[in-house]
Amino acid sequence: MPSKRPTARPVEGRRWKVEGPAPTQAVKSRESRVSASPHPAKPARPAPARTTDPGPRTPDPGLGPRTPDPGPLGGRHVRPDATSKVAGLTRYVGDLALPGMLHAALATSKVAAATIAGIDTSAAVAVPDVVSVLTAKDIPGQNLVGVIFTDQPLLVTDRVRMVGDRLAVVAARTPEAAWAAARAVTADLRPLSGVYDPVAAMAPGSPTVHESGNVFKTFRVIRGDLARARKAASVVVEAEYHVGGQDHAYLEPQGCLAIPEGQRITIVASCQCPFYIQHAVARVLGLSLAAVRVEQAPTGGGFGGKEDYPSEPAACAALLAWRTGRPVRLLYHRELDLQVSTKRHAAVVRHRWGADAKGKLCFAEVETIMDAGGYVGLSTVVAERANVSAIGPYDVPVVDVKTHVVYTNNLFGGAYRGFGAPQVTWAAEATLDKLARSLGLDPLEIRRRNVLDARKRVLCTGQKLPGPVLAGEVLERATALAGWEGFKARRPAGDDHLRRGIGVSLVLYGCSLHWGGQKLDRSSAVVILQPDGSVIVRVGLAEIGQGNLTAAQTIAAQALGVDPSMVQVWQPDTTTVGDSGPTVASRGAHMSGMAILDAVARLRTRLDPVAAELLECQPSEVELAGSFARVAGQAGRAVPISRVAAEMASRRIEAISTGWYHPPEREYDPRTGQGAAYEFYALACHVARVAVDPELGLVKVEEVSASHDVGRVIHRDALEGQIQGGIVQAMGWGVSEALPLKDGVLQNPSFTDYVIPTSADVPAIKIDILESDGPGGPYGAKGIGEPSFIPTASAIRNAVCDALGIDVDTLPLTPPTVVAALGDRHPHAWVLEVKR
Amino acid sequence: MDLPINTVLRPASLAEALKLLAERPGARPIAGGTDLVVQLRDGRRHADVLVDLAKVGLAGIRDSERGLVIGAGTSMDAIAAHPGVRSRFPALAAAAARVGAWPIQCRATLGGNLGNASPAADTVPALLVAGAAVTIASARGQRQLPLEELFAGPGRTHLKPNELIVSVLLPSVRLGQGRRLVERFVKVGPRQEQIISVVCMAGRAIVAADGRIELVRLAFGSVAPTPVRARATERLLERKVLDGSLRHEALAVVQEDVKPIDDVRAPASYRRLAVATLLDRFLAEVARG
Repeated sequence: MPSKRPTARPVEGRRWKVEGPAPTQAVKSRESRVSASPHPAKPARPAPARTTDPGPRTPDPGLGPRTPDPGPLGGRHVRPDATSKVAGLTRYVGDLALPGMLHAALATSKVAAATIAGIDTSAAVAVPDVVSVLTAKDIPGQNLVGVIFTDQPLLVTDRVRMVGDRLAVVAARTPEAAWAAARAVTADLRPLSGVYDPVAAMAPGSPTVHESGNVFKTFRVIRGDLARARKAASVVVEAEYHVGGQDHAYLEPQGCLAIPEGQRITIVASCQCPFYIQHAVARVLGLSLAAVRVEQAPTGGGFGGKEDYPSEPAACAALLAWRTGRPVRLLYHRELDLQVSTKRHAAVVRHRWGADAKGKLCFAEVETIMDAGGYVGLSTVVAERANVSAIGPYDVPVVDVKTHVVYTNNLFGGAYRGFGAPQVTWAAEATLDKLARSLGLDPLEIRRRNVLDARKRVLCTGQKLPGPVLAGEVLERATALAGWEGFKARRPAGDDHLRRGIGVSLVLYGCSLHWGGQKLDRSSAVVILQPDGSVIVRVGLAEIGQGNLTAAQTIAAQALGVDPSMVQVWQPDTTTVGDSGPTVASRGAHMSGMAILDAVARLRTRLDPVAAELLECQPSEVELAGSFARVAGQAGRAVPISRVAAEMASRRIEAISTGWYHPPEREYDPRTGQGAAYEFYALACHVARVAVDPELGLVKVEEVSASHDVGRVIHRDALEGQIQGGIVQAMGWGVSEALPLKDGVLQNPSFTDYVIPTSADVPAIKIDILESDGPGGPYGAKGIGEPSFIPTASAIRNAVCDALGIDVDTLPLTPPTVVAALGDRHPHAWVLEVKR
Repeated sequence: MDLPINTVLRPASLAEALKLLAERPGARPIAGGTDLVVQLRDGRRHADVLVDLAKVGLAGIRDSERGLVIGAGTSMDAIAAHPGVRSRFPALAAAAARVGAWPIQCRATLGGNLGNASPAADTVPALLVAGAAVTIASARGQRQLPLEELFAGPGRTHLKPNELIVSVLLPSVRLGQGRRLVERFVKVGPRQEQIISVVCMAGRAIVAADGRIELVRLAFGSVAPTPVRARATERLLERKVLDGSLRHEALAVVQEDVKPIDDVRAPASYRRLAVATLLDRFLAEVARG
């Protein structure tokens, strides 16, 4: 019999019945759990379910629990950082100040393409209260930033490649003086012809951004005989999609504080990867890695925007701190942040997809051109994910995918929730709807006929999906939740100027890092059991609002059998844990959790013998649950974990433990895109219902229904929060957030005209959670951060097109874009021809 | 925040405020500050001295013989909630409720919305169709101006530096026997709240029992350097009975009344289509009866 998971409340997804074909696979999957993860520390799943909220636990010190305690896993305990954040007590970088601290500012280029004939800082130095103005010649180490490639200087010397390129950095006694001095830096810039269109940048004769040429790299996935497959297809859809970029719009702009201490330095930064900053600062200052300490400050949102980019401001602040010997804080203002920080890549996606007469996909050709901006940054890694995500969770025997990383003088492409997958998913799901229309099929039906399942489990990379394949399951559940069947019959008449539509999209998300980033894919944890039974946990993955502290706390509490309130997870600090890579790729809970479980397993080699002595049993019989160590299966024989901890302390037994985890090595051929690009995959389906005012082009997303195979729920509130947040953020990308450029200059660098959704725009959100027994991270959990984002804008696009009966192949679907797509079908289009 | 301001003065009466404005060249009045503070920070406006009107007593709505008088210091929130405004000037109530979002509406004032002279000011089209007049004061005395004559261009009014908008008069509507009043305000923007109008429109029509349009006033925002009355369209429609061909003609004529531009919020062509759409919908409501 399959064991049930502990859940503080019934799993929502089981409350309703699935319409349509009976979903069978999940049921099967529960009966035969696949153990694909080789990690030895993977714990047995904890025991019995219950259906009520646990409430506060006060252990009875005399008797111990009579019933086994399922622990906090899958529950809804209050997240540890909630109170301080809601009460305004959390100290962000902008709240930190030190005696003698200076304020930094950046002198940046306002043009995107130029050679530099000279930089004059004399006027800046003369500004009152200015302490230091530095240029590239003042850098003691290497003038380089960039996580992977070395095409980007910290401070430019001879060439400007994008707006925001740094000419000089300033430190002053007040922020006002610092920014005034930064404005006073003058540069003799000789304009170059720039290139502002990635497609044009690929053409021979285009102005080049770097001498090596504008096409930095092309990634491929090649599978099957394309010529034969083309002949077999009875319907072929060709399309070109223009997908816009997106700003992260984190609440807290970029910021950091650098504190020099003799021959070493501490950086406190709003960031997603303190280890990247450690490497960047060490390189720029010429210091050893050990001489650079980076502490992650509480971070007001990241979404990828604080993965690679914070190394740049941190290196600037570090340089100023190093040269002045004083603490230096650099805080971006919003306009600067919008213009110069990294963005989701704008992309052009070209499709030629074919299907047979029954709607079965025969082949898919995809060519994606990603606008990297002036430097490559993380664009290659983004392209790797886009490359293997281009087909979605569909069974396509013949695939030819090309993804180009192209330099332009536009905004700097970087990491952003979804990491290349949203752009190609938007295109793939649009093309599926076009094929369905050509064949007279319902969009749901064409997906049913092509979705991966237990029999068809081979991805475009040739990788065989491990574990249960619940793509069909999430498709059925999300569409049922949204009322797909019969929607068109019920579609309300348009007497309120509105037309309703419904759209569906799936996502196949490769959890954690791509094969190309394997060497970064490891994690570290430290667990310290205190003499009072409380627990300190350190992990190398960051809390950026997504709930990583909550996940780490829950997993540690579950593994040690203590209440979550006894576990304190502290912010990452490069001096307390090993390099755990970046907090990206939906890997936070996964990688933190696996390292914590390893640390707890190692701690128990010392804890269990002590407990066994107190319990008069064998160490192998010790079980930790409900704040007690007890003899497995014997409810009466228990001792509080706090007593075991005190006993360990009094005997001077080592109560600190480290944990380490890395996924197994995988094989992958980057020339063909064949192999195990990712260890395991999350599957999800979103269905959007929209109301469109066609004459004004206004799109109102009324409802999004989401079904996710999450593997296992760690913390239900955090999970639902990620899904809700992902949906709203993706709706902004899909509908209203545009980044108009003129010669590389952003035209709307403020929240007045960069239109992110507000609470008034949030649709009704219905969430269905599936748990499954496939491979995953801690307790089988997969990632949720990005699967919650990716299938949203595509579902919205399909719903809008369903409402209007036309295709809109440009993202975002702003009112002018929708109206332009209507063209002559707009009832008043004739007024544009009126002679005036 | 990096605000280049030297002095903030806080007069306790209108007379004192007017005296300060007369004596201090370069002084600028501030009420809610929801536009001005942002513009000062961005360097789009400059002021050495700010004269804070909070204690001057310009807030309040009262009835007079000629109509409803709204003090320049009245907040958008107070206007949107006022029963008299809601019943007698529904377009203005609706417009005030769409300025920014509620936190902005609690600070922003009617006088500020006029003095800022944005082409996209939401209350202005509603005030224009109401035939509003502004009362302007200086240390030398008061004068009254039809609202239409206040604006000189984007961000510019015909106010002299020492003048202050003190109130706005909304003339009462006398609705004769069997007449019906149709009044609407519509705002178009890419999100529900906290958005600058891409186009906004207010319309007022008085329709006789026989369907003849006795009076029609149409005004648009964000389609010209200032909010504008659609005079040519009004002339076309007045004293006529609406039918399909008249509606059609109105959509063509209104294109002469507006002069939209391409900007970061929308191209001119979108604005022209939106103007046609909003007018068509308003006329449909007028015709529906």
